[in-house]
Amino acid sequence: MKLRTRTRFPGRRARVGIAAATTLITAIALTGCGVGGGGDASADADTLTVVVEGGGKAELEPIADLYKEETGTTVKLVELPYAGLYDRISTELSSGSPTFDVAALDAIWLSAFADGLAPLDDLYTDDVKDDLFGGLVTEAKVNDSFVGMPVWTNSEILFYRTDLFEDPTNKADFEAKFGYPLAAPTDWEQYRDVAEFFTRDTDGDGQTDLYGTDVKGAVETEWLATVSQAGEEHMVLDAESGDVTIASAEHLEALDFYTSLLPYAPSGASQLDWAGSQNLFYQGNLAMMRFWGHAYRATPDDSVVKDSIGVAPMIAGPAGIGGVPGAWYLSVPTAGAKQEAAKEFVQFAYEHNDLSADTSLGLVARKSAFEAKSGEAGFENYPALLDTLNAPQTLPRPATPEWQEIVDSVLVPMLQKAVEPGADNAALLEEAKSQIEAIIQ
Amino acid sequence: MNGLETRGKSRIVLWALLAAALILYGFPFIYLLLTSFKTPLEAISVPPEVFPTQWTLENYVSALSREGVPAALVNSVVTAVISTALSLVLAVPAAYAITRFRTPSGRVFIVAALVTRMVPTIAVGAPLVEIMRNLGITDTSFGLALAHTTISLPLSIWLMASFFEAVPDELDEAAKVDGCSRLQALWRVVIPVVTGGVAVTAIFAFLASWNEFLFALLLTSVRAQTTPIVIANFQSQFGLDWGGMTALAAVYSIPVILLTLFLQRHIVAGLTLGAVKG
Repeated sequence: MKLRTRTRFPGRRARVGIAAATTLITAIALTGCGVGGGGDASADADTLTVVVEGGGKAELEPIADLYKEETGTTVKLVELPYAGLYDRISTELSSGSPTFDVAALDAIWLSAFADGLAPLDDLYTDDVKDDLFGGLVTEAKVNDSFVGMPVWTNSEILFYRTDLFEDPTNKADFEAKFGYPLAAPTDWEQYRDVAEFFTRDTDGDGQTDLYGTDVKGAVETEWLATVSQAGEEHMVLDAESGDVTIASAEHLEALDFYTSLLPYAPSGASQLDWAGSQNLFYQGNLAMMRFWGHAYRATPDDSVVKDSIGVAPMIAGPAGIGGVPGAWYLSVPTAGAKQEAAKEFVQFAYEHNDLSADTSLGLVARKSAFEAKSGEAGFENYPALLDTLNAPQTLPRPATPEWQEIVDSVLVPMLQKAVEPGADNAALLEEAKSQIEAIIQ
Repeated sequence: MNGLETRGKSRIVLWALLAAALILYGFPFIYLLLTSFKTPLEAISVPPEVFPTQWTLENYVSALSREGVPAALVNSVVTAVISTALSLVLAVPAAYAITRFRTPSGRVFIVAALVTRMVPTIAVGAPLVEIMRNLGITDTSFGLALAHTTISLPLSIWLMASFFEAVPDELDEAAKVDGCSRLQALWRVVIPVVTGGVAVTAIFAFLASWNEFLFALLLTSVRAQTTPIVIANFQSQFGLDWGGMTALAAVYSIPVILLTLFLQRHIVAGLTLGAVKG
């Protein structure tokens, strides 16, 4: 037998080189340094680690910078994707020794994480409560303790195209058809009228290319706002009593209104989510959309509607204006190593909440911070946000640890069926009720 | 029709089929690449356009200048290289021992290695975070590479075992007759024969680390954060930077493509395993 060696296989020198390189890399790695260098953040007395969702990092940066300037303490903002933040925080809280000192939490997670969060009751003075929207104060309290301090909040408001609404021909045609002046709609009926009016073929090719509105089937929040507008006080379920309310008359009325807009919306509603809706509007395909307030400042420069966007409060149903507060809270883990320092930062962030207004999203949480900027150019969305967030029917989502599961496995699939032709809305709500009851039991 | 014409037509059909397969399998990446050259608004247009109407490098500039991106790219390389090295260093002797000694415990071990792949990653997340913290290696490339090795090692062992199985024991015996020890036989004779197998295993181990998301999410914060986490950050609660995301994803794909092309000849050569000449 004769062995045939491969000439292409590295020779002895090359193999020695590979082995040396491997050893070197391993040695470097064993030092435990990533490219950022430095020691363990949580062990550093002059550093606070704040874990935050990607889009919200910019909101906290000016506050973190000022905190460093005034106290000497560095606030390290750890940016993590929204899709993984829940898992990360859940894992760290369950491990009993989290690597972060403060977490920015989505409102809907507070009840799920409440057991691992330190009470912030001392921070909730009467003055603080007076300067926060009612829904946010309600939402922050879980099991008789405040477990988060709002750092920024959002709500859906009405976006419309001023170039269309201010056009003299449109004004005259609309008034002739509906008997009242064309303006940003304030209630369901007006919204449907305007949506119908603007749904048209603008280039004469026989195809509709401008729609009055959109209908989002792949997200639930917009319909939930409609439920509150209809007069429902407990959207989907009463978390305290455990009663599932989703089959109530108000829920049905809201769903009927929601789906009645389908003739004035682009096809494919069952797959339409926030990003798709936003882009339809920016492309000039929609005359109106109901969308989160931050989008006003986030309009791309290359959007055809960049300089012709008007904003107004969320529309009203039979019970008045209603939105869903989209708030984020700063919370402190009970097992955190620097609880007192962390609470001091949370208080500092509340006191300097106005600094977040000049960021890319421009979202704040305090009424006074909204009011201070309301008259300034570039903040035209603030009065609309204030009116919507102050409305009595702007109610928080139910405080239940199962909320995310209810959304993913019941509400969104139900809406996707409801926006299909021939859907039986009442039957869909009854079916959803049974599914939710099974989840919470 | 003569034989030459028939062969020519067959070749055309073959190339057409190859082109169709390439387009079919490559379309997602091609679409990603094309999207990365669109303007931010066009990148998420509804309905989507395949080709950009206006080509731009804006997404690449904004993505690569984003805070943390260069560091994340370096972290990904360092983590994947360490993880690949660890996987090979551990898998090669393990697989060799299993295939050559054929003991019952070896068979139990290799099945047990496979079973560990069946445990959902998230289930080991919490204990892993705790272990890494106790070792003081959270948020380090080495810690993350160790975690990634737990994912790639079982597959690496199985792959290497299958390659070693294809090499006859007589080869080791011949080496020993020539004066090699068992380890020398492995290093000087058997491994050169299975170079392609090592290359395949290295690629799988590298890819397992390169694209891994969950452990990187749980175990890194600032210093060792890898690129998949940064790419995911392009989508937030407040919007989707689809153009920037595709640009960074395209950049992130390049090393893997280059690695595969570089190792391709070793893979093909290794598959033949024609070292024994009678």
